[in-house]
Amino acid sequence: MFILTKIADLVQIPPSQFEQHSRVAIENNINAKYANRVIQKIGLCICMYDLLWASEGLIGHGDGFVNVNVEFRMIVFRPFKGEILFGTISNASPDGLKIRTDFFEEIFVPYKELPENTEYDHNEKAWVWVVSEDQRMHYDMNETVRFQVIDETWNDQLLENGGQEAVERGKSISPYTIKGSMMKEGLGVCIWWDY
Amino acid sequence: MRILEAQNAVLTNVEVHKFLSDQAKQYQAEKRRGPSNLETLRDEMLKYFDTSPNPLSQKPLKYDVDAIPVLLKKLRPYKISKGECIMVVNMRPSNTATLNAVLEDMENRFNEEQQEAIINIIIEVLGEFPPPAEEDEDNVMDTTEEGQ
Repeated sequence: MFILTKIADLVQIPPSQFEQHSRVAIENNINAKYANRVIQKIGLCICMYDLLWASEGLIGHGDGFVNVNVEFRMIVFRPFKGEILFGTISNASPDGLKIRTDFFEEIFVPYKELPENTEYDHNEKAWVWVVSEDQRMHYDMNETVRFQVIDETWNDQLLENGGQEAVERGKSISPYTIKGSMMKEGLGVCIWWDY
Repeated sequence: MRILEAQNAVLTNVEVHKFLSDQAKQYQAEKRRGPSNLETLRDEMLKYFDTSPNPLSQKPLKYDVDAIPVLLKKLRPYKISKGECIMVVNMRPSNTATLNAVLEDMENRFNEEQQEAIINIIIEVLGEFPPPAEEDEDNVMDTTEEGQ
């Protein structure tokens, strides 16, 4: 579920960080900018993997920042289509199940991607897989599951008009959402299959 | 910011786990704290790897990054694709149901014997979780009966 992405960027080191070793200052700057942020069509950035090249530092006019051109590789979370992952059930609604991992929240399994004979119990507010009359398997909250990635959606939160409204709208839509499935044999709640 | 290469390489969970654990140790040794978004994310990721039934939650770790080429070599005769191998390393399927989830069209590609052989290779190279401790209960029962 992880890839390495090669990126070229400009790092600006403020005078307050001059006493740090350049490697350290560069790594901190890159991680501060990218860690836990989504790059559209690339994925969720985790952290810098290695620094491939850095130029000499040039001091810009007007400010004391040292500008360094860098090329580095970043660890990025981006599961491929068809990949199987672990997750935990975070929410159940008549539309389907919401799944999360400790570091990524936006995974949704629509009800069509649950095995046949799965029904929504409105009293318990949970999905139940009716295997047979006396075997009802519950998709309980916080249970660890295996799911398959079937699609991904990108929402560019670019602020075209600006203003507070656009900021609010940007905050409510996730930049990166994953659609999952638990249809295949072996998917679903882990304790059903692990023996 | 320019993306030079969107996908330069693919990493398995164990490789990322090693990288983050080593980074955590190195920062601690240098008494250094990275930016807060990095520290938070690293804690969340290590917690994810540490949660059962993730194979990396088993302590001591049953396999490390060196197991990957060994596994690839042993699985080569079965013509398992790269993506499937990554999933095998990440998920460590231990029975035919979980193996079926990871392999495409398993029933048609491999007969029962081959499926078992693949699982045995996985257990051999990547290890497995200890079986649930049911035997202990039986032993306790026996001793009590004998004690009478």
